[in-house]
Amino acid sequence: MNFRQITLNIARAAAFALLAAAPLLTPAPLLAQGQKAPAMSDPKYGDAAAIRALPAAKLNALLADPQATPYAKAKACVRLSVIGDASSVAAIAPLLEDDKLSVYARTALEQIPGDAATQALIAALPKLSGNNLVGAINSLGVRHDPKAVDALSKLVNAHNPETAKAASLALALIRRPL
Amino acid sequence: MPRRKLTRRQILHAPLIIPATALGLNGATPPSDRVTLGGLGIGSRGTSVLRSFLIQKDVQFLAICDVRNSQREAIKSMADKTYGNSDCAMYSDQEELWARKDIDSVLIATGDRWHTLLATMTAKHGKDVYCEKPCSMTIAESRYLADTFQRLGRIYQAGTQRRNGTNFNNAFNLARSGKLGKITTLHAEVGPGDRWPPITTHAWMPAEEEPAKQVVDWDRWLGPAPWRPYNSAYIQGKWRGYYDFHGGGILEWGSHTVDLCHWAGGLDETAPIEFEPIGMNQDTPYTINCKYANGLKLVMRDKGFLGLGSCAFRIEGDQGWVETADSGAVATSDNLKSEILSVPREEASLSTTYHVRDFLDCVKTRKQPKSNALAAAQAHIACHAAYIAFQLGRKLTFDPARDLFLNDDQANRMRSRAMRAPWRLA
Repeated sequence: MNFRQITLNIARAAAFALLAAAPLLTPAPLLAQGQKAPAMSDPKYGDAAAIRALPAAKLNALLADPQATPYAKAKACVRLSVIGDASSVAAIAPLLEDDKLSVYARTALEQIPGDAATQALIAALPKLSGNNLVGAINSLGVRHDPKAVDALSKLVNAHNPETAKAASLALALIRRPL
Repeated sequence: MPRRKLTRRQILHAPLIIPATALGLNGATPPSDRVTLGGLGIGSRGTSVLRSFLIQKDVQFLAICDVRNSQREAIKSMADKTYGNSDCAMYSDQEELWARKDIDSVLIATGDRWHTLLATMTAKHGKDVYCEKPCSMTIAESRYLADTFQRLGRIYQAGTQRRNGTNFNNAFNLARSGKLGKITTLHAEVGPGDRWPPITTHAWMPAEEEPAKQVVDWDRWLGPAPWRPYNSAYIQGKWRGYYDFHGGGILEWGSHTVDLCHWAGGLDETAPIEFEPIGMNQDTPYTINCKYANGLKLVMRDKGFLGLGSCAFRIEGDQGWVETADSGAVATSDNLKSEILSVPREEASLSTTYHVRDFLDCVKTRKQPKSNALAAAQAHIACHAAYIAFQLGRKLTFDPARDLFLNDDQANRMRSRAMRAPWRLA
C-alpha cells in the first residue's frame, strides 16, 4: 500500500466519521417559491425591472435628471452597457467623478462601441483622482483602443504609484493583440 | 560566575532533541511532506471543504483571512481545536495572508465576485489554489483565470468535486470503455429553475447602517463588484441571485454538471459553437441546446431527469446511455443493466474529500488536477454563454477559439463587466 492509498484510507475513515456526525449539506434554494426579497425602487422611475425596460433615449434622459436617485442611475448605466451607443456617452461621462457610481459609468463606457466612449474616458482623466482615476485608466485598458496610448503614456510616471501602475498595465493591455 | 563558552565541537557532539512529528514518526507527516494552507473567505460551504482538508494528515492549516470577524473567530477555533494549539492566525486583509512565505496553498471560498481575482492574485504570490465554484463571473474572467495559471505554472483545483466522485467516475469509465458506442449527446441538469432561477435580479436590498469595519468590512466584501448600499442579508449568504454577485442558476449548477459533460466528452479545451435557448418562461422547464464543432450535442436542462438526485448528468451514445446524480445511483439503458455502477449515498458524498486529496497530490507532484484552471474555465465559458443566450432569448453562435459571439454585438458586450477600482484583471 503506497503513501497515497494510506492517506486516502485515513481520509475516507475520517470523512465517514464526519458524515455520521453532521447532516449532509444540501444547498438551499435562492428563494422559496413565491417569496420576494425586499428591494429598493426610485420614486419616479420605479424598480430595476421598470428602469431596464426603458429605451436608450429615456435612459439617457434619466441620467441627466437631477431627481433620479443613484439607484436609478446605476440601473440605467448597466442597461446602457448592452443597448447604449454614442448618444448615451455625454449623459454617462459625468458619473465618472462620482465615487459610488463611477463603476457603473465605466460598466457602460467599457462596452459602448466607437470613439465617443474612449474620448470621454480620456477627457475625464485630468478631472479624476484616486480610485476614480485608476478605474478610468483600467477601462481604457479594457477597451484596447490605441487612441488612448498618448494619454496613458503621460500617466506612466505619475506621482501616485497606483496611477502609474494602472497606466502601465492599461498600455500593456492595449498593445497586446486581442 | 564566569559563563562557560560552548565550542563548535561541543555543540556538534551534544545530543539533539528532535520532535517525533518533525521526523514523521508515530504516523505523523514530516514537515517536508506537509502542505501548509491558508483560507480566504470561509463561510458555510468553505467550512465543509476545510473539514476535508483538516482530516488530511499531510495538511497544516495556518491562517484564516475573512472580512467578517465572526468567521475569522469560528475558523480559528475550528483549526486550533484540530491541532490542539492556538496557532491559527487571523487576518482581514488578504495581503497579510499572501505575505506569509510559509503558506503553500490557499483555499478560497468567498462569494463568486471575488473568485477569479483572488485566485489569480494568490497565484501571483507563488501559491497554489483550491477555489470554490462558480470560479468566474464572466467569459473574460474565465479566460483570464486559465491564462494566468498556465503562465504562472501554479496548481489550481476548482471546487467541482464531482469529477472525483465515485459514481460519476463509474459513469465516466463506462463511457470511456466504449460500451455506449459513439458518444452523441451529453445532458447537464442546471436547475431546477423554480428553485434556482436562471435569471439574476438587478434589484438592491434596502440600505442598512454599515457595521464597524472591524466587524464587517463592507468595502472589502464588495471587492471588485459595483458599489451598493450595505444590507446585512448579503453578508448572511443572501447574495446569490443578485446580478452583481452571482452568475445565475445555469452557472450555479452548470459549473458542476456542464463541467462533468466536458470531462466525459473530452471537451476540456473547447466550448460549444451554438447556444439555442428553448422555453423562456421561468415558470416552465427550459433547455439550452448546444452544439460543439465536432458535432457533439450538449443539452442544459432544468428538469426531466430520472430523479436520481441533484446535479444529474447523462451520457448518451449510439449503443446506450448512462445517468447518475448525487444520490450515488447510476442508471443505464437496458442493454447495460448488468453493469454494477451505483454506490451508497455515503460513498457518493465523499467526492469533496477525494477532490481535496487530488489537489494535495498535485501540489506535490505538480501534475494537473482533474478540475484544473483550463477545464474549469471552458465549462464556465459554456455556462456564461448559455446564460447570455437565455437573457437575450435568441440562438447565438460562438467562436470558442476567440471567445467571441458571431454577428451579435449585444451578446459580445455581455462577455465582461467593469471591476470597481482599484481591482482589475491584470
